[in-house]
Amino acid sequence: MRRTGSPRVLGYAAIAAIGLLGALALRQPELAVIAAPFALLLAVGTRAARSPDLAVEVTLETERAIEGEPIPVTIDVSSERAVDRVELLFELPEGVDVADGSRARAIRLGAGESSDGSLAIRCARWGVFDVGRIDIRARDLLRFVTWETSVERTHRVKAYPTPLTLRAIVTARETQAFVGSEVAVVKGEGIEYADIRDFVPGDRVRSINWRASARRQGLVVNERHPERNTDVVLFVDSFADVRLGEHSVLEDAVRAAAALATRYLERRDRVGLVGLGGVLRWLQPGMGTTQRYRLIETMLETGVEPTYAWRDVNVLPARILPPKALILGLTPLVDQRFVGALEDLRGRRFDVAVVEVDPVRLLSPGRSETDRLAFRLWLLEREVLRARLVALGIGVATWGGGDGDTDLDSALEGVRTYRRYSRLAHA
Amino acid sequence: MARGGDAFQAAGIRVVGLAFLALVAALVLSWPGFVAVAAATVGGVYGTELAIADAPLDVAAPAVAAGLLLSVELGYWSIEERGGWKGEAGDSLRRGAFVALLAAGAALVAATLLALVDAVRTTSLAIDLVGATAAAGVLVAVLVLTRAQSSSGS
Repeated sequence: MRRTGSPRVLGYAAIAAIGLLGALALRQPELAVIAAPFALLLAVGTRAARSPDLAVEVTLETERAIEGEPIPVTIDVSSERAVDRVELLFELPEGVDVADGSRARAIRLGAGESSDGSLAIRCARWGVFDVGRIDIRARDLLRFVTWETSVERTHRVKAYPTPLTLRAIVTARETQAFVGSEVAVVKGEGIEYADIRDFVPGDRVRSINWRASARRQGLVVNERHPERNTDVVLFVDSFADVRLGEHSVLEDAVRAAAALATRYLERRDRVGLVGLGGVLRWLQPGMGTTQRYRLIETMLETGVEPTYAWRDVNVLPARILPPKALILGLTPLVDQRFVGALEDLRGRRFDVAVVEVDPVRLLSPGRSETDRLAFRLWLLEREVLRARLVALGIGVATWGGGDGDTDLDSALEGVRTYRRYSRLAHA
Repeated sequence: MARGGDAFQAAGIRVVGLAFLALVAALVLSWPGFVAVAAATVGGVYGTELAIADAPLDVAAPAVAAGLLLSVELGYWSIEERGGWKGEAGDSLRRGAFVALLAAGAALVAATLLALVDAVRTTSLAIDLVGATAAAGVLVAVLVLTRAQSSSGS
């Protein structure tokens, strides 16, 4: 521990010195009498102070939580020597605040005593946070000497995004081979009725449609659509973020991606992830609960890293983008490179849909005429980007983020409607 | 300050007012150095008053010492508590009692010294002796402090 003198040392020394010198200069013993207690306390206080022997332990009840959920923390301090005052400041990284209690505590410890204090912290946003650094300052009884140190009892807290409620999602146009919840276009073994056809040897007896067979005077069998799963790749744009206070489009995008991933995985779909930005992150499509946690933990590392490199989909391994997969882009439509990547994917005949996390709500047009003009031009540029995507048959849903007027369900409904009509137009 | 005359009284009130402002500034701005400045200023006014009045030994000196120490301690304590620390129950009461005890101790030490000075105050040499002893005491205190600081660094 680093020992330092408190401001009292200088103050007491100055008062004592001035008093004693004044007594000599003015020949007034009363000044020496006044100065004497200060000098005496200074000498005793600095001499008698002994370094405390502190041990600190930090315990977190859980290291995984939903953003905003309180996490109880216990700080246990013990000392071999008596300490009149121990000040503990629990350092919290940006994005983590105190939900209950105080992060600045002052305690008194007797020799061999321990004290455990508790507080609750809360992650204001999703992400990975290192908590557990404590700044300690101990003071002796006369408060002339302080001992300062910092201890690192780091715990890595993972705050998962708040789950968003989704009633319906955008489904892929084509299904895959595995069993799932999506009714396939092709015919096969399933539940959904598709058509009838003449009986051929080898057909199951249970497939025979007896009513239709009675009318046709020959055996006919029911054909059905099988239930298959789909492949979905969530494309998160991390080239740029637009932030205003606690609101951030990237955070909303990840929140939406987590909700979508959960919903798709519940349907037994395979879900993959690509974080396209300064740092390229990907996760091969997979299914199940394990994949859900893999996806969310990969998303937690998402952040904006500045880059001038032109990243496109060529850098992605082929198995990240399986054939017939639905590519669902989550982007604020701010960076051309992401839009270019989506166009590239559409050009490769991938089924692409886009959820635009609207950044306009977080920006203001500015005060000057030039600023307002620039803002209008920027809005027009965004319209152009959106039109470019729509012209390629990509449905674009505009979502106002977690606090916007439009919820994600309504935004996705827009994409579903668009895809329904575009499919008819295609047919 | 009445002992110093009207002119001194007017000037003294202004200086004490300045000292009060320094104390307030110290507390508001968390500048602990100003606490000592305020105390030293008040002590200076008191010493000047004694010098002008040329009175015999002032019996109020222990009270002044206790008062100054109390105000200085309370000032530093107030600044220390500025961090928004959540203390334990009864913490303030215990500290307050300890500060009061310090002030009482200061009064006792000052009274003892005053009595000692009064006893030996027969010649001017005695006063010089007290002053020189006190100055030596300060030097010893500084030496002790330096040693303590250097030992903690190692």
